[in-house]
Amino acid sequence: MQTEIKIKNKIYRIDINEMAEGLLKVKINNRNYFFAKNKSGELASVDPKLYANGVESEENGIIYDGLAEKEIKSPIAGIISSIYVKKGSKIKSGQKIATLIAMKMENEIIAETVGVVKEVKVKEKQFVNSNEILIILE
Amino acid sequence: MEKFKTISSTNQKAKELAQEGAEPWTVIVAEEQKAGYGKEKVSWFSPKGGLYFSIILPKSQIEDLQTLTILAAFIVAKTIKDNFSLEPLIKLPNDVLIKQKKVAGILTENIIGKEIKNSIIGIGLNSNIDEFPRELEKSATSLKIELGREVDNEKILEMIIKGLKEQLKTISQ
Repeated sequence: MQTEIKIKNKIYRIDINEMAEGLLKVKINNRNYFFAKNKSGELASVDPKLYANGVESEENGIIYDGLAEKEIKSPIAGIISSIYVKKGSKIKSGQKIATLIAMKMENEIIAETVGVVKEVKVKEKQFVNSNEILIILE
Repeated sequence: MEKFKTISSTNQKAKELAQEGAEPWTVIVAEEQKAGYGKEKVSWFSPKGGLYFSIILPKSQIEDLQTLTILAAFIVAKTIKDNFSLEPLIKLPNDVLIKQKKVAGILTENIIGKEIKNSIIGIGLNSNIDEFPRELEKSATSLKIELGREVDNEKILEMIIKGLKEQLKTISQ
């Protein structure tokens, strides 16, 4: 599907294709972004290299590089009880990152982005505030 | 309701089913758990005879889920008090005690991205357990040990679920 949208006088040419079952490629002004449904059924940006083998992700030599967030923040305040990733870990959308104990409940923090862990900013047993950076991605 | 003879953990199963899109108020109940757990993954003794179940909760505010966790302990204690001549005490927020020994435990777990994706509440009730291993004898008891007779797990389950539904409706309004 091809379309154009205009944001603040700038026109963006958009081309949406289904690359594989459940994997969408969105081309915006010749730059490619990839999306797939995560475990919760929501579309999330993915790195097709991590997503599946055999996907034609190297088409035009472009791989996903744009929309993924480079930080994973704590959605709520609490105490980190476990961390499941380390420097160099590849992270997929929907993957369990850490468990945080807050408000008498156990909360599994999952990633909603993709990438490789550059730095884990917190330690187990540490108190974190809401919106505090837990992980920085490359 | 999904019934299992044996399961590793009803909470674990509930989380998996919730992420696969199971409906709110789906109940996962097991006759025994091989790897039942409570707070901070401390194991929960779960032989046949006990009542072990987890409920997939509707999407709610985190404050409401915290309130529900606390209310769940009250609901379990009230069910015990109203139906059997026992005097349960609540050890907030997760445990129900009889004569200072644990008879039930509650664990709410949330899966959170930028916002809450799924929430489940798990309850383990020592109902028809005849005896506990030596290391738990002083800290755990069962309804059967206290009453000297068996109780009806299905009826208790029904009452607790009804109580939770009513309470969540009230607090999230």
